[in-house]
Amino acid sequence: MTQAPTATRPSAAPATGRRRRLGDREGPLAWLFLLPAVVYVVALVGVPFVLAIGFAFSDVSAGDPSYDWAGLDAYRRAFDDPVFWQALRNTLVFTGVSMVLIVLFGKVLANILIADFRGKWLVRFLVLLPWTTPVALSTVSWLWLLDSIFSPIDWILRQVGLLEGNMYWLGRPTLATASVIAVHVWRLVPLAAVIMMAGLIAIPRDIDEAARVDGAGFWRRMFEVTIPLTMPLIAVAALFGAIFTFTDMAVVYVLTRGGPTNSTQVLASWAFVRGIEGGDVAQGAAIALFLFPLLLAAAVLILRAVRRMQVM
Amino acid sequence: MRPNPLWSRRDVLRTTGLASLGLAAVSCAEEPESPGEGADAAAESPSPAFTEPTTRLSGSLSILMWSHFVPSHDEWFDQFTREWGEQTGVSVTVDHIDVAGVPARIAAELSAGQGHDLMQYIAPLAQFEPSVLDLADVTEEADNRYGEQLEICRKSSFNPTTGKFYAFGPGWVPDPGNFRRTMWEPVGFPDGPRTWDELLEGGSEIMATQGVQLGIGMSQEIDSNMAGRALMWSFGASIQDENENVVLDSPETVAAVDYMVRLFQGAMTDEVFSWNAASNNQGLVAGQLSYILNSISAYRTSQETNPDIAGDTLFVPALEGPATALAAQHVMYNWIIPQHAANPDAAKEFLLHYTANLESAAYHSKLYDFPAWSGLVPNLKAWLEDDPFGSEPANKLAFLADATEWATNIGHPGPANTAEGEVFGLPIIPNMFARAARGEVNPEQSVADATAEVEAIFAKWRARGLIGGGG
Repeated sequence: MTQAPTATRPSAAPATGRRRRLGDREGPLAWLFLLPAVVYVVALVGVPFVLAIGFAFSDVSAGDPSYDWAGLDAYRRAFDDPVFWQALRNTLVFTGVSMVLIVLFGKVLANILIADFRGKWLVRFLVLLPWTTPVALSTVSWLWLLDSIFSPIDWILRQVGLLEGNMYWLGRPTLATASVIAVHVWRLVPLAAVIMMAGLIAIPRDIDEAARVDGAGFWRRMFEVTIPLTMPLIAVAALFGAIFTFTDMAVVYVLTRGGPTNSTQVLASWAFVRGIEGGDVAQGAAIALFLFPLLLAAAVLILRAVRRMQVM
Repeated sequence: MRPNPLWSRRDVLRTTGLASLGLAAVSCAEEPESPGEGADAAAESPSPAFTEPTTRLSGSLSILMWSHFVPSHDEWFDQFTREWGEQTGVSVTVDHIDVAGVPARIAAELSAGQGHDLMQYIAPLAQFEPSVLDLADVTEEADNRYGEQLEICRKSSFNPTTGKFYAFGPGWVPDPGNFRRTMWEPVGFPDGPRTWDELLEGGSEIMATQGVQLGIGMSQEIDSNMAGRALMWSFGASIQDENENVVLDSPETVAAVDYMVRLFQGAMTDEVFSWNAASNNQGLVAGQLSYILNSISAYRTSQETNPDIAGDTLFVPALEGPATALAAQHVMYNWIIPQHAANPDAAKEFLLHYTANLESAAYHSKLYDFPAWSGLVPNLKAWLEDDPFGSEPANKLAFLADATEWATNIGHPGPANTAEGEVFGLPIIPNMFARAARGEVNPEQSVADATAEVEAIFAKWRARGLIGGGG
């Protein structure tokens, strides 16, 4: 026989008693705690996304927010612009190269961080700093480090006799591209390292010891034991790195504003330049929406990887 | 049975709830810092003028504006608005933000239909015309009081196609050439270059003998946009004609681009492709640039941080090209009142009050700001001839008294219209020069590519009836 829910509650229930019951009920409490996150996602991701779709098929401009249906006009203007295609190409290159380097350096860093040595916690703290610093703030620091006249990097290179004059890191397309990728890698490697560290720590020690007993050396253990066992987490780290690089406009905007001659322009920065600085909100939205298909694919891959991890 | 935890869930909820309430109470109780406090007016600074508003004012007025390059201006302005608020019974708040963030902020507020009652930027805001009030009445009233507005300011705030004053333009800032005397003297130009040819000749010589480059940006930012236009106009080229037709693809533009290629090869480095708004000032103050196109703000900075450099810095007006000598305004003040403004009457009265006190604005900006009505700052010429802010020699800035003769508006020879505004907001013109200078394409191709981009923008705005031409 099922008891009526009221039977389990205290009979004399003044206001304080009702509050206690709410605090003790896990269902409503869970929803209450989830609510800020849900509101955040809906308000700052869901609503802008729907707006972007609407704007992309309109003639909305920065000075005229009134909505008029314009079909594919904004897309036509975007496609006719060679800078759009350059930005798309740059976005894919930056993301691909950054992802490979983030995984590579993240793995190396994770291996270092799980080792036992004096001051390990301090090192871990310092390594995480780039990730915890706001991206715009840390990029401003890089802007100074890569300055054409005052670059401390150039100064050091001159002091050790490796350079005469200046490198002009942000004034030459190849160096500017390398600089943007380097900043992405610098800020995302700590995240990848922490993710992979969790995987490395979770590997049972007896597996590694068994491999050692069987005569497996460092590289063989690395490629045949460690990496296969941590592959889901490596995939998660890679995908997070890809998403954060793909969607970021702060690094490009602060460092180069897309220059020289649009050689570092990416979709996110070009959408901002066109949509806000140029005032063509419809075209900016159309460009920004090109980020969506890849992000969707990345999200699906991440969720699958996480699911595989749960199954393991 | 569960172990008795040190902190129950209820304890955690209660403690965090109380802590949050406490933090909220503390943050509400904090008084915001009042900017501008302690602004000390110099003995010779102009006295503020107050005219009773024509209508009874009340309520509040919120103002969004840039953080002035000369900080003493903002100290004066904040005090000035506070006093006006006390005199009129209007509660005034002023928000200064970094200049680079102003257009995005304006766009966001117009899109949301809420925000500040009055907004100011340092370049024409024609692109916002559909969402702002017509300020013909304010401009007319100012004209009635002070005479005819300068053409450079009128063309930067009025759309002849729609007949609307999309902005009020009470002031502007010239954009002269700044040069280092000790660098130009040895190459035979003790008074600096006066023509683009002299700039190429002297600049190349300085680069070759002293290893110091010129600083004319070809990057994706505002100074590069202005420098490129100055060069084009002096060569007889322009983006549009006076009837707002695109005329960018011309032999004159190609000649200007070709000149820039030679100037880059002879007198500049790749630094100019990473130029930003601070590069002028940094390079001049550090003694790393022989010539820049800039207002006097870099000079004012060096007066405080590096007096030797300031003493060695002199100025020249717009350089003479094959066609003429013209420079863009360095700053064009545009004040707009959005349609969503809750107190437009107070905003308009404040603009007239501000206009009546442009002499104070000029003085407290250390002669950076110039008025749109020449009679409004009767002391300007005297100040320029005997700089109250310590120039050596004292008449170093005297040449600026004639700045209206060699300065013009964005969009010259036409108005600063919506299409010109969008082109100005994009890196089309700087890239036109940069692509040729870098050798990516030849000047003809670079001009043709830029023209295609510009024509698409003009066609879009023409279709919406906001610009003329196309006939």
